[in-house]
Formats: sequence, structure tokens, C-alpha cells
Amino acid sequence: MTSRKQFDQELASLKLNLVQMGDLVIRHINEGLDSFVRLDVDLANQVIISDKAVNEYEHSIEKNCLGIILREQPVASDLRLITAVLKMITDLERIGDHAADISKMALFMEKTQTYYRVDDIFGMMNVCQEMIRHALESFVASDLVLAQSVISADDTVDHLFEKTKKHVANALRNAAVDADYAIYLMMVAKYLERIGDHAVNIAEWVIFSMTGEHV
Amino acid sequence: MNTFDVRELVLTYDGKAALQHVSMNIIPKQVTALIGPSGCGKSSLLRCLNRMNDLIDGCNVEGEILFHGENIYAKNYNVYELRTKVGMVFQKPSPFPMSIFDNVAYGPRCQGINDKKTLENIVKKALVDAALYDEVKERLKESAMALSGGQQQRLSIARTIAMQPEVILMDEPTSALDPIATGKIEELIFDLKKHYTIVIVTHNMQQAARISDYTAFFLMGNLVEFNTTEQIFRQPTQAKTEEYITGRFG
Repeated sequence: MTSRKQFDQELASLKLNLVQMGDLVIRHINEGLDSFVRLDVDLANQVIISDKAVNEYEHSIEKNCLGIILREQPVASDLRLITAVLKMITDLERIGDHAADISKMALFMEKTQTYYRVDDIFGMMNVCQEMIRHALESFVASDLVLAQSVISADDTVDHLFEKTKKHVANALRNAAVDADYAIYLMMVAKYLERIGDHAVNIAEWVIFSMTGEHV
Repeated sequence: MNTFDVRELVLTYDGKAALQHVSMNIIPKQVTALIGPSGCGKSSLLRCLNRMNDLIDGCNVEGEILFHGENIYAKNYNVYELRTKVGMVFQKPSPFPMSIFDNVAYGPRCQGINDKKTLENIVKKALVDAALYDEVKERLKESAMALSGGQQQRLSIARTIAMQPEVILMDEPTSALDPIATGKIEELIFDLKKHYTIVIVTHNMQQAARISDYTAFFLMGNLVEFNTTEQIFRQPTQAKTEEYITGRFG
């Protein structure tokens, strides 16, 4: 087989950068929710500042993709791979924004705010992080089944979101939670629900890169 | 009805197989690109379509090529008539050492058309269709040898069109041209397919992707894959096709 060593190295490096970008946004989701729960303003600010690094990843990967298109004029699986990467970085960047949005909730709240724990929000976060991780793993390993499992997992996120809504509504009725806090809680849950949707988008592009069909 | 139906075509040169049981169709008023590495048989197939291989010693053809349902390799098939309907443009432009006008009028004159007005009309229409008329209309009596490479190739196309063919076969028509002249020929092919069926052999993968509707990939005399060009370049079904078009093939 003829070697396209340089080109293959560029594609491998593209995948590596995408995974690194994914790792960063997964960390930001964790830290964003942590800053909200603990009302940790310093951590919240760190996440907001660090989101710029996510944006830089997006620009750098986009630039690399355009460079490869220009130099290599890719076709078939190479073209699908680069198209998928270009689409996936947009979703990862949006996930990064939502992680920063969650952190911003910590900044809006009063220091004296009473913490009210809703376990399902943590459940949503765990499932979302796993979805992103699996979507990227499925891309690197060309694992169609794993990519499809990410799409299915979104039902769990949606289910937990519905449960959270009911939980918070009940807590409001019983005056167990402050109204302002309940609004912030619901916003955090909504951001997580959107993160799940973006993870699904990523998985769909993984499937496209393998099959040529965008589901 | 397909323009050509190639059925189980086996082509040998001195007993050595150049094409092995190739079956495919050429669809009317579409551009079909034949791609593959050197020696894969794509040019041999192209030459079979107007029986140019008849001129090669030791060449033997088995199977059938139907042109509108008629086997062109049948006994008593009128090859001369076939070649007027199925014209060919070669890799290197080959103007005759005569004027631009006479180059284009050569074929019609051979067919016995000598009326001045009729010839003028044929030549003008052929040059217009080949997107060359505006560039040469003031110097039709000048030698064709003075034209640039790209113009000479469009003149070759005009000469083919002047015979009012139905099919134009092109064997790497832009491989000797610069990118601007190549672009003009590609635009021309795009216009020509409104009226003609085109089969083109090209080594330029991007060109096949740009200008053709269907693509056939050949390897060592075998047709590996034949599909719409979009399908071939987006999601080929055969691993060999994928390897070749992505440049990972040896």
C-alpha cells in the first residue's frame, strides 16, 4: 500500500486534538457544577476563563481541517472524517459554553443561599460526561455500536431532566427551596439537557464518518 | 435505453488479458469517468467503444458491446458509421497542418459535404459548441498550429462535434494542459453533456469528481466498482476503490 504518512499523521493529530478538546469540556462540566453546588466563585471564574482554551481548540482544529482540505483535497473516508471533525468541534464548543453558563449561576447567587440538593442533576452530569467520552472514543476506535449507544443514552438524560423538573416544582410547592435558587437549579438542569443533545450530535457525526449517512 | 451496454467484455492483446469480464452501462447525456492506475484497462475499454482497438495487431475481443441494443462487434456491423456517431478526443491535441476552418471541415468534407454555406454553418456551430469560436472567428483561415495547447484541444473537440456524433470519448483530454485551459475544457464538458453522451478517461481524481455523473474504477483489467460519482467519492463500497481514490494504494 502506498504511504500517505504525512497525511495520516495529520489525521491522527486532528483526532488527538479533538479528544483533548473533549477532555477539557468534560472537566469544565464537572467543575462548573461543582462551583454551582459549593458556590465557589473562584472555581466558577476559572471555568469561565478556561472556556477560552476550548474556543482556541476549536479555532486551531478548524484551521488544521481547512489546511488539510486545501493541501490534500480529501475524498471518501478522509473527506467524511474531516467534515465530521469540523461539525463536532462546533458541538464541543457549545458544550464548553454551557459548562461556563453553569459556572455563571454560581456568580449570580448570594453567598448566603441555602443549598438544595437534587441528586438527579448529578445523574444528568454523569450521563452527559459519559456520552461525550463515548462519542469521542467511538470516533477514535471507529466503533459504530458505541456511537449508537450515545444516542440512546440521551433518553436517560431527558428522563432525569423531567424528574428534576418535578422534584423542583414539588420543593417549591412545599417551600423547601428558595424561588431564586429553584430557577438557577432548573437553568443548570436545562444546560445539562442541552449538553446531552450536543453529545448526540457528536455521535451522529461519528456515525456519518463511518457510514456516510447522517442519521 | 442505455447508450452502451457492455456485457462480459474480455479484451486480450496477444493472449494477455487487458479487460476481464467487464459489464457496465453508459447512460445517455451523462458524463461517465473511467479511473484507475496505469494499465488497469480504462483506455482499452474506451477504445473498444468505437472499435479503435481493431487497429491494433493481436487484439481480440469477446463478449458484447451494445450500442443502442446492437452489438458493435457483430459481423457486418458498420464500423465507419459507428465512428461518426462515437467520436474521440485524444490526450494530445492533434490539429492537422491546415487552417482552423479546414480542420473542423475535414470530417464533413470526408462525408461528401462540399457546399460552402453548409460547411460554414457546420464549422461555426462546432466552434461555438466547443467554446472556441469567439477566440478564433477573426482568423479561421490561419493555421491551427498557431493555437495554444488549450485552444488546439478545443479545436479537436470542435472537429469531433462537426461530425454530429452522439457520444464523445475523451482519453485524458486535459493531461497536457495548464489549469486555466483545463478549466475551460471542464466547463465545456459540462455544457456538452446537454447534447452528447461523454465517456472520459482521467488520471485526475478531482476532475472525475468535478465533471462526471458516473464513475467506474478499474484495476488490473477488472471493473472494481461502478456507481454515481457522488457515491464513489463519498462512500465507495469496495475497499480497493477507497484505497485508490484516497491515495493509499500501491
